[in-house]
Amino acid sequence: MADERDPKVSKRYRELASEEPLRELDESILRAARGANDRPHAPLVTPAGRHRWYYAFGAAAILVLAVAVTVQIERQRPDPEFVPASPVPQAREDDLPKAESRITPDPAAKRQAPRELARDAAPETAAQARSRVQENKTAEAQKPEARAESAQRPMAAPAAPAQSRSDENALGAASSPRESAARAPQASPAPAPAVPPPLGGAADSAAQPMRAPAARARMAEQAAEPPERWLERIVQLRKEGRHEEAEKQLAEFRKRYPDYKVPEAALKGEK
Amino acid sequence: MAEVPDEQLMLAYRGGDAGAFETLYTRHRVSLFRFVLRSIKARAAAEELFQEIWMRVIESRATYRPSARFTTWIYTIAHNRMVDHWRRGGLTLVSLDSEDLPANDPGPQRHVEGREALARFAAALEGLPAAQREAFLLHEEAGLTVPEIAAATGCNEEAAKSRLRYAMAKLRAAVDDG
Repeated sequence: MADERDPKVSKRYRELASEEPLRELDESILRAARGANDRPHAPLVTPAGRHRWYYAFGAAAILVLAVAVTVQIERQRPDPEFVPASPVPQAREDDLPKAESRITPDPAAKRQAPRELARDAAPETAAQARSRVQENKTAEAQKPEARAESAQRPMAAPAAPAQSRSDENALGAASSPRESAARAPQASPAPAPAVPPPLGGAADSAAQPMRAPAARARMAEQAAEPPERWLERIVQLRKEGRHEEAEKQLAEFRKRYPDYKVPEAALKGEK
Repeated sequence: MAEVPDEQLMLAYRGGDAGAFETLYTRHRVSLFRFVLRSIKARAAAEELFQEIWMRVIESRATYRPSARFTTWIYTIAHNRMVDHWRRGGLTLVSLDSEDLPANDPGPQRHVEGREALARFAAALEGLPAAQREAFLLHEEAGLTVPEIAAATGCNEEAAKSRLRYAMAKLRAAVDDG
């Protein structure tokens, strides 16, 4: 940069002044430099001294959060005893609003209907079963005194089979959606007898959690049984000479599958 | 005996040698102080900035890498501190009216002429645009080259060269007038 330097300019600039920093300022800076050298270097990233607890606290917080989430997930996992063996297909869920709209609840008729009628009523669709449960809940909400009465009542034995049957029908219908769809219009003419009284419904709902897992499994197994297998069982009963039991099964079968063509072997002894 | 380079002294200070810093400080204290004082109007502010610059040098010792000259590095720090100062206030040069004259008094007549010539030069220096004045001070006080001025002030070399050339031309005119 020799070409930029002008001796005259440099000389004149040097003549301007010779200011220097104050002695106190020098001492202050040199003291700071010595003091800084006595201290250890400040780390670039890792906090030191009193800030070190941040790391321990952060690690502990993460650990507690992980344990809490794990425990919460374990608690929210559904109990396998209350999970139905064969879930209702989505198609049945779609039919639910239509079926509900077809059934007009008649509280008076429901109250007069005997429990036996409910037990032997025409097979219900899953939609009817669901609507009945919904109606029961509504009736319970409207009649708190009835709820109290049902709570005082012991776990009614007759109520449980009625509810079981409705569950069985619903699950059985789920096993053959085509046939249940064909049966759907037949269920509408007699909705009232199929609906149990509200008190019984409340008792049923109260008794439901008390049901044994083995019974639930057996019901699910029967409900999931295809009609061909059921008819084979009836034929087997007839071969064993247990005609009375075969008749009962056949009657049940006809209720469940009214349009199913029953083979001759299963009908033998019917007359 | 050859002088120990600034960079080596700084590395020695980083290693814990406080005496190395004292040597560095002694070498650069006057030129750096003048550079700051002639860039800042008030002496008090110049002293404050001067102290801040050296404190920054002390704090940055752990990260110092001798990739460039120490002079360029410390004047880069000074430039940045002054930019901050200019942002907070105005940009003016310190008044030179009350400055002491050289010890050799050439006599009353020359004394008056000398004062007038210095006043014209001081006025010309004060009248320079800030960037040109800074380029001149870095060149004259710190002895930086054009590339080093560019590095210290964060501009390209062409700009640094142009600023320095304009500053020298104006100051040369002020000297010739005297």
